[in-house]
Amino acid sequence: MIEISQLKKTYFRGDGTPVPALIDVSFDIADGEFVTIRGKSGSGKSSLMNILGCLDTPTSGRYLLAGEDVSGYNDRQRSLLRSRRIGFVFQSFNLLPRTTALENVEVPALYGEHELDRSKALALLQRVGLGERAEHFVSELSGGEQQRVAIARALMNDPPLLLADEPTGNLDSAAGESVMALLKELHRDGRTIVVVTHDEATAAHADRELLIQDGVIASDIVRAVSSGTGKS
Amino acid sequence: MKRLAALSLANRSMLRNPLRTVFMMLGVTVGIAALIAMSTVGESTRQETMRQFKNMVGTYDVINIEPGASATRGMPSLTTVPPTLKFADSKALTEQVDGIVAVAEVQNAFDLDAKYRDKSTAVALYGISANWLEMHSYFIDFGSVLTDEDVATVARVAVIGPDVRDALFPGEDPLGKQIRIGNVPFQVKGVLVTRGAGPGGSSLDSIVFIPVSTASKRLFNRDYLTTITVQLADPLNPEPVADAITAVLRERHGIVPPGEDDFSLGSPLAAAEQVADVDSTLTRVLTGVSIIATVIGGTVIMSLMLIAVSERRREIGVRRAVGATRNDIMLQFLVEAAAVAFLGGLVGVLLGLGGGVLATVQQNMPPALHWSSIVWAVALSVGVGLLFGLQPAWKAANTDPIEALRG
Repeated sequence: MIEISQLKKTYFRGDGTPVPALIDVSFDIADGEFVTIRGKSGSGKSSLMNILGCLDTPTSGRYLLAGEDVSGYNDRQRSLLRSRRIGFVFQSFNLLPRTTALENVEVPALYGEHELDRSKALALLQRVGLGERAEHFVSELSGGEQQRVAIARALMNDPPLLLADEPTGNLDSAAGESVMALLKELHRDGRTIVVVTHDEATAAHADRELLIQDGVIASDIVRAVSSGTGKS
Repeated sequence: MKRLAALSLANRSMLRNPLRTVFMMLGVTVGIAALIAMSTVGESTRQETMRQFKNMVGTYDVINIEPGASATRGMPSLTTVPPTLKFADSKALTEQVDGIVAVAEVQNAFDLDAKYRDKSTAVALYGISANWLEMHSYFIDFGSVLTDEDVATVARVAVIGPDVRDALFPGEDPLGKQIRIGNVPFQVKGVLVTRGAGPGGSSLDSIVFIPVSTASKRLFNRDYLTTITVQLADPLNPEPVADAITAVLRERHGIVPPGEDDFSLGSPLAAAEQVADVDSTLTRVLTGVSIIATVIGGTVIMSLMLIAVSERRREIGVRRAVGATRNDIMLQFLVEAAAVAFLGGLVGVLLGLGGGVLATVQQNMPPALHWSSIVWAVALSVGVGLLFGLQPAWKAANTDPIEALRG
C-alpha cells in the first residue's frame, strides 16, 4: 500500500534558515495492515502524515501509494488521489457545522468519481452504529458520535487507506476506546489503517508501531501478525 | 447532477447566516430596485409621450413636407416658414409621384382670435384641403365636415374644436352661427370630437379648420403653404416616395447641384421618437447612482465573503482533504456570491416594479416596462456577484488545507 524511501521534508523560515522536519524516512506498509505512527509534538509525525495523506509533497525521496509514485504530483493530482485513495479522520472531527450527519457523510461523494448515492451514506452511518441519527445536526451529537460520523465520511469514497490523526485526542477514554474498536473492525474488513498519535495507549491498539523521533524512524515494532492480506 | 448537488449543499451556507446574507443582498437590492423603478417610470413616460404625439398627429403613415432647408422647431406656421412651397407644388406631387394615397395642403397660424358676439378665444387656425381631417383622424361630433366643394368655392365655413364651442357657444347650438376671425366671417358647419391632450398636456381642441383656399385668399392673402402632407400607400417603405418627392420639388424650384433643397421632409414617427426618447439629465444621473449603489453592493458582498472565507477555513480544509480541487472550492464560493447577488437582484426587481407602478399610477400614466430591463437588471446583479465574488473565491481556493485543518 505504502512504500516510502529516503523521504525528506525541510521547511524554511522567513530568513531562509532550513528547518528539517523529516530527515531520512523509509518504511513500507502492506495492504491490510493496522499501523500507528507514534511520536511527540515536533517529532515530524505531522509532516509525515501530511505527506502520507497527499496534502503535502516531500522535499526529496520517493512515496509510492498503491504502486503509484505520487512524490511529484501537483495540487490537482493530489486532490484526485485524496478523493479516491485516502479517507481522513481528524482529532477535532472537522464536521461541517449546521449540517446533518448524513450530509456530512455525503460530502466526499461531491468530489468523487461516482454519482452521489444517499443510500450508501446511510448504510455507512448504520455501519458505524448511527443509522438512527442520520438526520441529526452534528451539534446534537456527542464527541464519540461525531467521530463515528467522521469515520463514515472517510469511508464514503471507498478509499483503500484510512488515515487517522489523533482520532481519540478529543474524546474521553470510553469514547476513545469505542472509536479504536471501530477502527479495528474496519481493519478486520480488510482496510489499511494508519493512526498517527502521541498516545501510547492508543498506539497499543495497532498490530505495528512506528516510533518517530527528530525526523527519523526510531523503532518499528510488530506486536501481532497482521490479519491483512499481507503484501509489501 | 452531482455538481448541482454540490452547489445546493454549498448554498445552504446562505441560510446558516441569514443576517449576513441579507446585508450582502442589500446593496444590490437597493441599486437594482432604483434601476427598475426608473426604467418603469421612463418607459411609461415614453409610451405616454408617444401616445400623446400620435393623438396630435393622428397618423404616422405620412411624410410631411415643410418649406425651408431644415424642419422648423416645433409646429410650422405662416409666421415661421419661408414662402417657397406653393399650391402648384402640391398639385404636381399628386400628378407625378407614385405610391401616394393622398396629398393634403395646410396653411396654418397660431394664436388667432375667434369671436362670436361679445366672446373671444385664441385658436389655432388651420386652412386645409378637404382630405386633411380624415387623414389625421379628426372626426365630426355633429354637423358636417369640410368638402372639396367648400375648397373649390372658397367658402367661408368653419369646423371648430370642442374647446372653441365651449368658449364661444356655451349652452348654444353653434351650427349655422357666424364666427369672426380677423374680421372675416365664417359659418360654423361642424364640431369635432374631442382629441384631449397632445405632448406636454396642451389641449388639441382649441382649433378651427377652414378651407385652405379661403385661408389663402380671404384671410391671410398668402399663396404659400406651411405643410404638405403626403399619405403613403406603403408606410413601411417611404424612401422611394421621399426620393420622388425630392426630385419633383427640386426640379420645380429650379434647384441644381450643389444647391440644397429649399424644403424638408419629415416623418411624424421619427419626430415622436425624438421627443419621447430624450433622456433627462436627471434620469442619467439617477441611473449612474443606482449602478454605483449596485457596485457598492458588490463590494459589500466581497468584504462579507472575505470574512466568511476566514471563518470557514475549516470547512475549506475538510473539503480539500476529501478531494475537492482548488477549482471546486473556487466554483463553490463564486456560485454563493452569484446566488446572493441574484437573490438581491430579484428582490430589487420586485421592489423596483412596485415603486415604479406606484410612481406612474400617481402621475396617471399606465405603468410600462420592457421585459429586457428585468433581464438586464438580473444579469447585472449576477455579474456583480461573480465579479466581486472573484477575490473571496480566489482566497478560498488558495487556502492551504494543512493550515486550515490544524488545531
